[in-house]
Amino acid sequence: MACGSTKLWNGEATWFCCGSAWGPCASAGGGACGTCRSSALQAAWPNASKACWDITRPDLCGEDIPRRGCGSVMKVRHDCSGASVCVTVSDCGPRTRSFCSESTCCDGVCRTNRVIDLTPAAFSAIGSLSSGTLPVSIFE
Amino acid sequence: MSAYRTGDPLDRRRFLTTAALHGATVVGATALGAVDADAAFAAPIRPLDPAVAESAFAEGRITAINDDVLAVAGSYGDHSRVRVTGATSVWKARATTAADIETGDGLYARGVPLPDGTLAADAVWVNIVNLHATIRGIEKTRLHLAHGQHEIVGNLMAETTSAAYGTASPTADLSRLTIGQSAQVLGAWRPSDGSVDLVRVAVAPGAGRRR
Amino acid sequence: MSALVRDLASLVLAGVLGPAGAGKLFGRGTARQAPRTALARLLRDGGRAALALRVLGAVELLLAAGLLAPPATPLPGAAAALLGAGFLGYLGYARAAAPGSSCGCTARQDAPLTWRAFVRAAAVLAGGAAAALAQQPWWTAAGRRPAAALCLVLAAAAALTALAADPDRRWRMPLRRLRLRITGHPLAATGAGTAVPVAATVELLERSRAWQSVSRVVRSALLDHWDDGGWRILQFAGVYGGGQAARPVLVLFAVDAGASLDTVREPAVRVSVLDADSGAPVMATA
Repeated sequence: MACGSTKLWNGEATWFCCGSAWGPCASAGGGACGTCRSSALQAAWPNASKACWDITRPDLCGEDIPRRGCGSVMKVRHDCSGASVCVTVSDCGPRTRSFCSESTCCDGVCRTNRVIDLTPAAFSAIGSLSSGTLPVSIFE
Repeated sequence: MSAYRTGDPLDRRRFLTTAALHGATVVGATALGAVDADAAFAAPIRPLDPAVAESAFAEGRITAINDDVLAVAGSYGDHSRVRVTGATSVWKARATTAADIETGDGLYARGVPLPDGTLAADAVWVNIVNLHATIRGIEKTRLHLAHGQHEIVGNLMAETTSAAYGTASPTADLSRLTIGQSAQVLGAWRPSDGSVDLVRVAVAPGAGRRR
Repeated sequence: MSALVRDLASLVLAGVLGPAGAGKLFGRGTARQAPRTALARLLRDGGRAALALRVLGAVELLLAAGLLAPPATPLPGAAAALLGAGFLGYLGYARAAAPGSSCGCTARQDAPLTWRAFVRAAAVLAGGAAAALAQQPWWTAAGRRPAAALCLVLAAAAALTALAADPDRRWRMPLRRLRLRITGHPLAATGAGTAVPVAATVELLERSRAWQSVSRVVRSALLDHWDDGGWRILQFAGVYGGGQAARPVLVLFAVDAGASLDTVREPAVRVSVLDADSGAPVMATA
């Protein structure tokens, strides 16, 4: 996938639901950008806007994550398998500050802090939804 | 290969166990731990088989089950048909089989689109939810969770529900959960009453202290 | 009775505005919560929103003092009614600007815009109007009919408690915490278990070198698992080879059933790939 090769960040990826949905996700709404859908290859970024940053506060975990607004395209690569997926920033998240210093390792190399939230479509393209978190590298 | 073909699942498992234990042993390499993380991960990625079509995804509520095909009504009025075979993994609070799937269940499916318009599923996750919640109450059989403005009951399941504390791996020990903790809750939603069967409750490192 | 309600409105309203104003003005949570309110959107800045909230707190405190203390004039009541009307207008705006939570990760658990907020604002508006129309100061009215006044204040306090934002956090959570402290943790017994959950084994596997080496073959998520003789067997489905030679396979991993990432950093994982139709091994080494 040719959606980015310049290293942007790395950390943990989790997944979330958005848009029209079933179950407890039904109340999720279209997200901070208004376009978020669980079935699309999309992501939530902790610094999608100033207001978003104020909620996620990755700086409290030592992550000075750069601003990438709605519509930014990124490649997310699962560090353990090399599988990757291209996503569009469509929401604000994850709430990095609530899980400071949480880490996910792959063969001894660890990624710390939740830095990106993927839709089920994007997350399942590179890992199993039942895994919850993945160590990832992010490119743009 | 008679044991492999037998109808008895125990025989089949025994056969597969023997096969698995004859497999090659791969041990994690410590050398990686000593080098720069980024350099270690920068090794070229083996390309996926180009002959295999890019995977597709389906989402929605199951409206009907016809043999091995699930009719799925998407959340945006779209419809899809998901084919579940013996090679499809089925998750519904645990690794299970297609027999556990019911009409009305929610689903995420990943697979390969077939020429007949169905999605040949590699994996389906039934009713799976992954919520950021706050623990508001703890009882013997359930947790009370606040998810945004909604209250959700989380059912504890013996031998299935695990807790992950910070960076430690999941454990059956739930005694360190406390009221007020922020938690990432992975579980299976029950369409009948809206509660969630808890599979994994992950709390932040050092959780329990006030933010 | 309605005259008593009107005359005591200043007292009750001061009881509402005073603590709310003090909370906003001096509370440590104001700066943390401000960016998540619709006010921040209106002012386009979390810091300005925090400042506005503190100013509002000071105004509420001043009004409470004006309502409580002599001289008894209709002015503080009228100002409070104006404030209530302002609250209603702001809530209407906030509802339109942010009709629900934006997503699972940014759900505003600190500032739910519920019907309670609207009723509270309406109560401030009505209370202010009543206080402005009062015939006599509240202390005179209460002195004349102390029993009725006490009942009225208690009823108002009960109604206000019910209207308080997030009743769950205010009193249900502390009660549950207290009960846990007295009766012990209801899940204490789970602490004794030593079995490693399957989730921990899957985690161990998915972070292992063995997984990295065959993940390109694996297509499914976990299909089945079982324990046998101290081993935990994990079964996946996959496709081996490409083009015409591609064939469905089973991918089996055998891991020590008692191992997790807490106990072993370099797990020894046995990997085998079997033809899905015949059960014959198709890959000797990973």
